[in-house]
Amino acid sequence: MRAGAAHGPELKRTIGTFQLTMFGVGATVGTGIFFVLSEAVPKSGPSVIISFLVAGLAAGLAAICYAELASAIPVSGSTYSYAYAALGEVVAMGVAACLLLEYGVSTAAVAVGWSQYLNKLMDNVIGVHLPDSLSHAPWDDNPGVLNLPAVILIALCALLLIRGASESAAVNTVMVIIKLSVLGMFIVIGFTAFDSGNLSDFAPFGVSGIGAAAGTIFFSFIGLDAVSTAGEEVKDPQRTMPRAIIFALLTVVTIYVLVALAALAAQPWEQFEGQEAGLAQILETIVGSPWPGTVLAAGAVISIFSVTLVTMYGQTRILFAMGRDGMLPRQFAQVNPRSQTPVFNTVVVAVVVAILAALVPLDKLADLVSIGTLVAFIVVSLGVIILRRTRPDIPRGFKVPGYPVTPVLSVLACLYVLSGLSWVTWAWFLLWLAIVLTFYFFWGRRHSELNAGATVVDPDAPTQDDAR
Amino acid sequence: MTIVVGFSPQKGGRDALELAVLLARSGQPEPVVVTTVTPQHWTTPSMAKVDAEFQAWATAQGEAALDQARQFMAAKAPELSVSYGQVAGRSVPAALSRSCADAEGDLLVLGSSRDGRSGQVVLGSTSEPLLHSSPLPVAIAPRGYRAHCTAISRMSCSYSGTEESGDLLLAVAGMSRRIGGALRVVTFGVRGRTMYPPEVGLGAEDMVLSQWTEQVRQFQRAALDRLNELALLPASASAEIATGSDWADVMDELEWEPGEVLVVGSSPLGTLARVFLGSRATKIIRYSPVPVVVVPAAVASKVAEDLDPTPDPNPHPDPN
Repeated sequence: MRAGAAHGPELKRTIGTFQLTMFGVGATVGTGIFFVLSEAVPKSGPSVIISFLVAGLAAGLAAICYAELASAIPVSGSTYSYAYAALGEVVAMGVAACLLLEYGVSTAAVAVGWSQYLNKLMDNVIGVHLPDSLSHAPWDDNPGVLNLPAVILIALCALLLIRGASESAAVNTVMVIIKLSVLGMFIVIGFTAFDSGNLSDFAPFGVSGIGAAAGTIFFSFIGLDAVSTAGEEVKDPQRTMPRAIIFALLTVVTIYVLVALAALAAQPWEQFEGQEAGLAQILETIVGSPWPGTVLAAGAVISIFSVTLVTMYGQTRILFAMGRDGMLPRQFAQVNPRSQTPVFNTVVVAVVVAILAALVPLDKLADLVSIGTLVAFIVVSLGVIILRRTRPDIPRGFKVPGYPVTPVLSVLACLYVLSGLSWVTWAWFLLWLAIVLTFYFFWGRRHSELNAGATVVDPDAPTQDDAR
Repeated sequence: MTIVVGFSPQKGGRDALELAVLLARSGQPEPVVVTTVTPQHWTTPSMAKVDAEFQAWATAQGEAALDQARQFMAAKAPELSVSYGQVAGRSVPAALSRSCADAEGDLLVLGSSRDGRSGQVVLGSTSEPLLHSSPLPVAIAPRGYRAHCTAISRMSCSYSGTEESGDLLLAVAGMSRRIGGALRVVTFGVRGRTMYPPEVGLGAEDMVLSQWTEQVRQFQRAALDRLNELALLPASASAEIATGSDWADVMDELEWEPGEVLVVGSSPLGTLARVFLGSRATKIIRYSPVPVVVVPAAVASKVAEDLDPTPDPNPHPDPN
């Protein structure tokens, strides 16, 4: 009998720079760019381009720190697993609260964005679109009853996950190509309508506007950390890892900036507010016929579907790890004997995410995702510094170049972006954090596997996760 | 227990007979019925009597086939009581089902189709529909099967931890005690495919698989305890978990004895009274190097009820 599972993915130490870059681009593009402009441009005007650069810088620095933490801690998984192993349970629980925002809430946000493009596509192709009551949340600008397409999308993804479906590396590459193609088409057509006059009022809200928009836009950079989690399977990580992060970041930032520039030069910034399926809308206005909008909407519908699937999958596996550690009820780590997937876990995630997607408007969701991700990234950057001090001896497959400047810069960049978020977002975030930590102190602490406070990594000791 | 063999000389007939002999000789000798299906004649009479000619030809073909079977059985297992018969029918699976009912058979034995590798169980146009419709358990011999021993040495029961598979295990345990063979509880786990891009690491499915393995180990222990309580545990019983990244890998993980058969349950999703193969059972069959017996959920649950009238006391709650 082979104990446990020693079957890694077939790609042991076979991932090169290109594949790794594809992971980063695939996980990042599509989460936000298709709909984030209509939320961010009203806060900053055309200077949103600067916001993209700032947010990209923060995400890139954090991804580099993430890579070191991932390589130093021999458990597989997310920030939660690293925090659990390196910084102890309380921090891990705080990070988990952030990750529920980064994965769970972003699944909801992405599903809401998908619903806009689906409606646009249906309208263009068959001339039917859902009424506001069935395609908008109750507290949206055009209030409705619930966002039905988003709920259906989430249900479909849950069904696929329960059946054990997954997106292969090849499908990921195809998705990247689809996303980049439709965005490329947008940029090319967008530049034909370039009117520098639209950019003349570059920063109507000054520096504070840039900061505020950066907070919202940060949402579109989540997923860049996907590069860092592949560490153990990467050939020559010390060389490959930073290259892949930088290539992925450059690709993503270039695409985002060009998309933003094309969109901003094509229409006055005041028109972005409340625009739905924004990129498709802008294309139609430029060309004066619906076909480019239809193509873009179709590309968005296909690729955002895959983003929803992957993000939701991530959420279920984080909760699974927490269930194994005893930080959540055991049911979260229970595998259904028939499907061999965590069915209970997936159903809970799907129900909660579907409720969020059905009832909460996109802008609120996006800001919550940003704040959760930024706080998690700060913990990661601090984790690098802490681990270098507490355990300088453990082998690290990848070390942050320019230590200690890089992690400090990463923290500062994330703090700057955080400072732009509204107090309402902060209030919700703190409330959420308080709920999760209360749960931990009253329940998780007594049920956890390791029950000790801080556990410091010992590479010789058997780790919690024997899957490695 | 009457064993019905669906015999077709070219299409794995010999393999089916070999398996039938092994099964019939295990424990008390069991009666064997060898059936061959011939094409049905046209019922409309024709002036030139071509229909009668055809019928005579078909009967002769059937007799020739049965003669082959007779010769084989006389040489291989003269001590068994074997009867021979042919049945005419347009559809082989339907005709076999009918003759099983007529012979009051308890088990239908078939050979593998010839479009597959030697040594593997290959489903064909006869076995495939029967596996989705037979009210009886169906045994299928791998292609080119030769029984090198006189009785079943071990029965492996595919056990997943669900209630249905618990029933199947009871039935198989009862059977292996009766024939005096060993029992092996086997559970097959395929690692979930890696999700790309890897937002939570490439090893997330390893974590799920190792958790699953822990869970299954408990299920297996509880199941063996239950057999022990019911005094159904054969003298030699073991439990194994086979895991791998795909089905071929999983099945290669296990050691197989020459006189081993693998028993799998049909999915409870089909009409309850019938065999209906689930997607997992189909994979297990395809990669099995030993003969496979597919037992309909209803047959297993009925046997289990006779053996243990109390409801399943298995401590594990249904996870969903």
